[in-house]
Amino acid sequence: MTAAALPGFPRPILRRRELGLLLAVGVALLLGSLSLGFTRNGVPSLADPAGLATYLVTLTAVHVALVVAGRRVDEVLLPVVGLLGGIGLLLAARLPQGLVVARVGTATLGLASLQLVWLVLALGIAAVVAITVRSDRWLRLYKYTWAALGLALLLLTFVFGSDVNGTRLTLELGPVSGQPSELLKVILVVFFATYLAENRVLLADARVRVVGRLTLPPAPYLLPAGLMLALALGIVVVQRDLGAALLFFAVFLCLFYLATGSRVDVVLGIALFLAGFVALALVFPHVRDRVATWLDPWADPLGTGYQTIQALHAFARGGLLGTGLGAGLPLIGGQLPIPAVHTDFPLAALGEELGMTGVLAILGCYLVIVSRGLRIAAAAADDVRALLAAGLALVIGVQAAIIAAGNLKLIPLTGITLPFISYGGSSLLVNGLIVGLLLAFSDRGPALPREPRRARRFARGGE
Amino acid sequence: MDPVTLALWAIRLAFLAALYVFLALVVRALLRDIRAAARDPAGALGRLVVITSAGVPAAGSVFPLDALTTLGRDLGSSVVLDDPFASARHAVLTFRGRGWYVEDLGSTNGTLVNGVPIAGALPLGFGDELQIGDTRMRLERGIR
Repeated sequence: MTAAALPGFPRPILRRRELGLLLAVGVALLLGSLSLGFTRNGVPSLADPAGLATYLVTLTAVHVALVVAGRRVDEVLLPVVGLLGGIGLLLAARLPQGLVVARVGTATLGLASLQLVWLVLALGIAAVVAITVRSDRWLRLYKYTWAALGLALLLLTFVFGSDVNGTRLTLELGPVSGQPSELLKVILVVFFATYLAENRVLLADARVRVVGRLTLPPAPYLLPAGLMLALALGIVVVQRDLGAALLFFAVFLCLFYLATGSRVDVVLGIALFLAGFVALALVFPHVRDRVATWLDPWADPLGTGYQTIQALHAFARGGLLGTGLGAGLPLIGGQLPIPAVHTDFPLAALGEELGMTGVLAILGCYLVIVSRGLRIAAAAADDVRALLAAGLALVIGVQAAIIAAGNLKLIPLTGITLPFISYGGSSLLVNGLIVGLLLAFSDRGPALPREPRRARRFARGGE
Repeated sequence: MDPVTLALWAIRLAFLAALYVFLALVVRALLRDIRAAARDPAGALGRLVVITSAGVPAAGSVFPLDALTTLGRDLGSSVVLDDPFASARHAVLTFRGRGWYVEDLGSTNGTLVNGVPIAGALPLGFGDELQIGDTRMRLERGIR
């Protein structure tokens, strides 16, 4: 058996499972669009048919590209991501188009058109990365370069970032603006994965006794973990962004646990993070304000607590089955009840219009992404790749969990996006990159050639 | 209830149902995948992938490993290396407890792990590179 990586065209490999699931996605999105159009116009019609058609054609194109490329990569991820993106597109078509406006030449693009453009670009990135990335050497060889790059991005945002809604996340370089913390999450996963895979034996076995039966890895190897904790808490203070801090630290702890299998370290990490957060809340007033708003939004129902209260009301109005797409979110004085609904509160809007049933289905999709990532990790050829795959999938899953919890007032409100559904260029593009890398890492290599039939008959005859 | 409201309700519920049909299909795919992996335990302990070779085995070959795998020019070896610089009984890979170990069996030209000659039994991690003569191989995790 030889490798199929010879020059020339690869043999296309049919992906029947992916095609079937994509068909189900298409049917679901058509029904959603029909439901939205019917509610809005009073007669059965599709909402934004051109946008939906473009999106479905793009999904099909990605599928065809993967078939032609002939790599044996995961067949479940693309449909799941496709469904989430489609739901995001439906939500964008349902919200007032004036929420985001951009001028391109003479044309003025509204929310739904912009979301469509970013989604198509994100799927394009996913396809290109899935087809072209064949090795992870470029990721693991330059791990300190990546880490330095990530820290530089973060520092740039600390210093030059502009404040939007009280959090310092956006970096503007001339006409281009973006949120580096989105890219930073990928860079951090790459660094952790390579670092932990290299030192896992030391972290797991060469432990020093501290008190009684409590043991810890030796100090030099704990240093990166300590730095990570400091970084996370630094983000809370300087960027006022609890969401990103929680995301980075939670993913770090997950990878640490996957690499070493030590539960004590994880519990200790959580305790230290909580202790640090409480200490920060006592020292810095803006952190304290955020916690106070979370504990009792009704103290200032028209000011700081407004969004949280409106989100809770939205979930309550939705109930079990929801009001139906386009029928929820009553305007208050000509304004949407939740101002940042397209970026920070898409789950509240979906909770109102699709109900708990719909929200559970959406959360189920994120669960599938995580389970696929862990499966890819379990089948990976070595530790670095396993940790990379697990970390990338966990970034998406943990981020969805954090923003869902924030919407539901389970944790203080955070400013991160709901992957694939929230509006936002940086977020969609980086999540597209993550999906592409996961697909590339799931490559099972060239297929084993079929056993020749004659040989089998011969073997049976010989017995 | 007037028919329009009824139709609206039906479409709304059909959309929610479609989401769950999709999830059910995905879960079925995941279950099949896991069952297929459980049915095929070949190479569960690890695989040896040939990166560069002197001829036989060709680069790109994959060997599922048994807990005791011998390497060498001898035709009785688990992995037969047709390499002029390989000894007849060159090295042995053993799976002990939780990990792989490699041991040189007193070969003439030695065994290299990640480019460094080894002495005695040495733990071999997934992703490590093993070199015997001109044949370079990588230990990879088995497909589960």
